[in-house]
Amino acid sequence: MSVQGYAVAAAVAALCTAACFALYPFLSLNDLVMVYLVGTLVVALRGRRGPALFSSFLGVLCFNFFFVPPRFTFHVEHSQFVVTFAVMFAVALIISHLAVRARTQAEAAKRAEVVAETERLRSSLLSAVSHELRTPLAAIIGSASTLLQAAQPSRDLLVNIRDEAERLARLVHNLIETTRLESGAALKKEPYPIEDVIGTALERTERLLAGRKVEADLPENLPLVPVDPVLMELVFVNLIENAVRHAPEGPLDIVARERMDFLEVSVADRGPGLKPEELERVFEKFYRASAAPGAGLGLAICKAVVTAHGGTIRAENRPGGGAVFLLTLPRGGAK
Amino acid sequence: MTERKATVLVVDDERAIQRFLRPSLEENGFSVLEASTGKSALDLAVSRKPDVILLDLSLPDMDGLDVLKRLREWSSAPVIVVSARGQESDKIAGLDRGADDYLTKPFGVEELLARIRVALRHAEGAARDPEPVYEHGDLKIDLTLRRVWLAKKEVRLSPLQYTLLAALVRDAGRVVSQKQLMKELWPEGGSTPEALRILVHQTRHRVEKEPVRPRHLKTEPAVGYRLEAPDE
Repeated sequence: MSVQGYAVAAAVAALCTAACFALYPFLSLNDLVMVYLVGTLVVALRGRRGPALFSSFLGVLCFNFFFVPPRFTFHVEHSQFVVTFAVMFAVALIISHLAVRARTQAEAAKRAEVVAETERLRSSLLSAVSHELRTPLAAIIGSASTLLQAAQPSRDLLVNIRDEAERLARLVHNLIETTRLESGAALKKEPYPIEDVIGTALERTERLLAGRKVEADLPENLPLVPVDPVLMELVFVNLIENAVRHAPEGPLDIVARERMDFLEVSVADRGPGLKPEELERVFEKFYRASAAPGAGLGLAICKAVVTAHGGTIRAENRPGGGAVFLLTLPRGGAK
Repeated sequence: MTERKATVLVVDDERAIQRFLRPSLEENGFSVLEASTGKSALDLAVSRKPDVILLDLSLPDMDGLDVLKRLREWSSAPVIVVSARGQESDKIAGLDRGADDYLTKPFGVEELLARIRVALRHAEGAARDPEPVYEHGDLKIDLTLRRVWLAKKEVRLSPLQYTLLAALVRDAGRVVSQKQLMKELWPEGGSTPEALRILVHQTRHRVEKEPVRPRHLKTEPAVGYRLEAPDE
């Protein structure tokens, strides 16, 4: 890190010198000083005091050696240049000091912002998660205690217990993967056919879909895309769960198309669609735009995962009614 | 199934899991042994010689993968590894160390029974020749004729696509890791996981009516593939 900063300073000095050689025939010596000062500013903007200082020093040395007569010696003929050096060094010092300080302040402000954001997220996470955990737990405990008191086992209550437990399992899986993503764990990206990933998501949501029609339009010769298969499956599971939850009827449409350097995939329903002000907000973490059940976690994770893949996701309303979630995934180096 | 009750050794240190596994396995005609530590699992495996071992990888006293390794030094009883989601590398490590299959927690009883039945059938079948004809739903594969039908219509496959299916038929019902399949398809090496994925993808488009919702050739994300067990 620190060595790298000095290497950059040296490289910048070399570059400035090259530039000065090119400009030498057209500019006065005092103008060449400016070139070195710009170099020092560039180094200082990287935010390290040491390399900035080093760069000021190198600038004076190079200017002296290459351009101040007699050229190609450190000897100085006219004493006026000693003043030039002093001024040059002082200006370089001030520039680097200011640049470093600005940089440090910007970083501190950013850090404070991140801390505030994390705090805000943590509290909204807590309320969203506790709600989402309590609802299925209440259903499970209620159903189980009813069954314990009942003379006859009720199939409906057993199904309710299983389905709500599965909902809990999906939520826990979402939470674990979010935590993993946020702790900066690397994606295990490998080139996959998107059909494969969508296929496993459809299988995982088979019970949730409960026979709902899914129209998939995925050309056979789509290029592979580099994805983390476990996380990308989660994206489609969440999009399908979201569609099933908000659009009680009608088929789901899943379409994938090859574009220039990315793959475009959409998951669409025939539900009520989204209000204009919700289109952006549905992806905000742990914000629930409406009182809709469960919204707030799944789509935020979709966005986090897709973004981590270098892709984009957005929501739109479909002509003819319903919501569509459009995501793009860069093809990267994959064939 | 055999006349003798098959014995399942359940290795799990969670009481809640043992509490539901015992009755559901007994209900389905198995006798059940329980172990809550790696050491007692190894002891029971020696003294009682179970037919199938259900091994949870997180145990209080030993790494489940070490238990598996020690077991494999002398036992060929099928081992089904149980682990949580998101731990695909554990599953792959388990398969590499000789596990027959895996189950992802949380799992349903149907899935558990299906895995155990397949494992038992393979353990029995290891002695005799494999069934020459595989049938599952609308898919039929005849290993002696080297021919494949989907919904009674013959399917044309490339030699590599056929080799893939034949390899999966031999392990029908079980997961086959990506590594195992690559070894079988390209014994000399020189291929890539991408090539395998493309091959599976193309094969699916020949043998599945709806390739995005495969009924026969399933993907086990980040681990490998599974051809469903043949119809009874």
